[in-house]
Amino acid sequence: MMLARVADSLYWIGRYVERAEHLCRLSDVMLNATLDRTEAASQATRIVLAAVGDTEGARAASPYELAFALALNREDGGSITSSLALARENARQVRDQITTETWERLNLLYLRVTGPEAPKAFADSPSTFLHEIIADLHLFKGAADATMSHGEGWRFLLLGVYLERAQLVGRLLEVCFGDGRRRPLDDHMALMSVLRMSCGLEPYLRRFTADIQPRKILEFLLLDEEFPRSIRFATARIEEHLSATARYVDAAGHAGPERLAGRLRARLQYADMDELDVAGAGALISTVLDDCAALHQAIYDTFVAYSLEMRLPA
Amino acid sequence: MATAQRPDEAAAFSPEELAQAPVAYDEMLAALGDVRPHYAALDRRIATLASAEMSERQRTLERFFLLQGITFTVYGGESSTERIIPTDLLPRIIPAAEWAKIEAGLTQRLRALNMFLSDIYGDQQILMDGVVPRELVLGAPSYRREMQNLYVPHQAYANVCGSDLIRQPDGAFAVLEDNLRVPSGVSYMLANREASRRTFPGTFRAAGVRAIDRYPDLLLATLKGMAADWRPNPQIVVLTPGVYNSAYYEHAYLARLMGCPLVEGRDLVVHDNMVYMRTTTGLRRIDVIYRRVDDDFIDPLTFRRDSGLGVAGLFNVYRAGNVVICNAPGTGVADDKAVYAYVPAIIRYYLGEDAILPNIETYLCREASQLQHVLGNLDKLVVKAVGASGGYGMLIGPHASQKEREDFADAIKADPANYIAQPTIQLSTAPCLIDGVIEPRHVDLRPFILSGEKIVVTPGALTRVALRKGSLVVNSSQGGGSKDTWILEDTAEEDMAS
Repeated sequence: MMLARVADSLYWIGRYVERAEHLCRLSDVMLNATLDRTEAASQATRIVLAAVGDTEGARAASPYELAFALALNREDGGSITSSLALARENARQVRDQITTETWERLNLLYLRVTGPEAPKAFADSPSTFLHEIIADLHLFKGAADATMSHGEGWRFLLLGVYLERAQLVGRLLEVCFGDGRRRPLDDHMALMSVLRMSCGLEPYLRRFTADIQPRKILEFLLLDEEFPRSIRFATARIEEHLSATARYVDAAGHAGPERLAGRLRARLQYADMDELDVAGAGALISTVLDDCAALHQAIYDTFVAYSLEMRLPA
Repeated sequence: MATAQRPDEAAAFSPEELAQAPVAYDEMLAALGDVRPHYAALDRRIATLASAEMSERQRTLERFFLLQGITFTVYGGESSTERIIPTDLLPRIIPAAEWAKIEAGLTQRLRALNMFLSDIYGDQQILMDGVVPRELVLGAPSYRREMQNLYVPHQAYANVCGSDLIRQPDGAFAVLEDNLRVPSGVSYMLANREASRRTFPGTFRAAGVRAIDRYPDLLLATLKGMAADWRPNPQIVVLTPGVYNSAYYEHAYLARLMGCPLVEGRDLVVHDNMVYMRTTTGLRRIDVIYRRVDDDFIDPLTFRRDSGLGVAGLFNVYRAGNVVICNAPGTGVADDKAVYAYVPAIIRYYLGEDAILPNIETYLCREASQLQHVLGNLDKLVVKAVGASGGYGMLIGPHASQKEREDFADAIKADPANYIAQPTIQLSTAPCLIDGVIEPRHVDLRPFILSGEKIVVTPGALTRVALRKGSLVVNSSQGGGSKDTWILEDTAEEDMAS
């Protein structure tokens, strides 16, 4: 049992920290790719622009300016700084629910990225700046894992993390492989960049060796059972946390999100490998993204914004 | 003695300077600059630290507050910024014997004030006997007609009280104000302690400082006790106006340390004369609300209609006896600045005792003769609007310009009942670290008293500091800060003196 508003805030903390981490990785990989004057460099920039939903390139002219804006622009609600500020604002609203250790990690990070030295730190070394944020976010998640009770609140935090992760990875795959009419991404360096953006290069190499192919990337990021950033892995955790919270919920309406999560997990677990044919992967990816959106709505309707008439005491 | 060894501080406490302002009592230095015995150990410790080391410790302290998120938000311009409330490194020390008297005085005072509230919201015997003027009480803006004849367990109307004490030039403590509505500052008391234990660990251990860590569980026990006779295992919540309130940190802090949900008005639902909170698993009944929202805002149906902070219908639930609101609505009438003048009489009336802690002499402008005295002596008096708090609506006569005094005189004449006046009291001074140098600054003392089944005075307090040189205003909204307050154990003093 916890306040509905509090559960909602914890869920959003999870979403925002995951989003910030993903954006750091996108920017870092893009800046790194542009050091080489190759086809891959412009591909990486195109992928990042599309993945953050900016197809016209309105944000900035050069990759550096794009990365700078993604990192530090407070006006842009989707930037890393804004995501961290929103995560921290949510954390402030549920300060009584998270441990001091967890709070301190997030607060420290917030103070750093919003502090007066942040633009200079970015300019000095974008890579160091972004890597430190990622490392601090790992500390935040580690502190949450190590110090918070693994009860309802912690589960809502992780629901946010995994649902956001599934959607971000799904979006990345959609941008790279979703459009069957476009020439599929086949440049070796660009494909490496996609794996780096999803933090999956090393685990991929261990599983498939350096044989880097779009179909295998799709299989890895969509269907791998053990890689923590594959959509299947994320979905399995979502299902787990939802069925665990079911212990606290008596309402029948709870079946909604749990059923959706189970269906999505099964869809990925028993996926037909032929569907992964690069030309046809778009349909599967967009089904997965639709399911994720429905899951988000169902969680909100069931736990947070439920109608009072259904729940009044007899 | 120590003065000679400390070049930095010698300037701050030179005999010349003391002679210039002989009126204020200094917490650390007696006449002629001798260090009072209970400050001796701290004084020796400070003497070993260079100015730079002190400043470094001060910065560590500030980082601690910032990291913890112990901040308040300053709005203005395009963006809002978060600041920490200035916190001073050097603890203020109070010996056991002095504290014993304060404790007895505060207990006596709160007992009498709770009896007073119970009486005026009941038979109003004290008004019939003419001890306190009827129109003063019933006409006070903080008097709540809606509270009339309502049962309050243990007659505990003011469950949490934070009285403001000041030390007069003769060294005696007096009560400046009783805060019976939603007093704040207790989280600063606790955070200051956590910080000063880190800053002066050795001195702290040797000094024998009484522990204050039990405040949250004593508060919880007090709140539980308010529902004890009808709910064995009550659901307790802390009600906050929300994250934009300047005391939000404190609300979250207390909720966390008590293990109670921190709720906002929008989390609450009234149904069938019960109040519930919206949880992930549906509605859950609430038995006790420790509210940190003013009377006016707790229920738009009963009090202010434009309030979005409370919950509609809450007061009816309270009237029906299905929830306890702590502090009870309407307690403000007992800390009204005009009623204040009658507190010694109130204590005598209910308890047959003289007040252990005296009041500050107070002139009520509503009385014609006292009004004349006030208008004739504006340059010597502090005048306060009865309804205002937080250091607003106040004239400090000796520091005001002729024009300000004239404007204030007009305001007083227009509505005399709204003003009281008190002589300008030189608050005592305590050593503070100001820009790396130790200087005396004026301080007050806010202890916290809990009342439920019984009255408990926490053996600690928030010492508020007027950080501007010479200033007497300690409110955080007006450039005030705070510092830790060490109440020494009974046996500690002899050790320290030796």
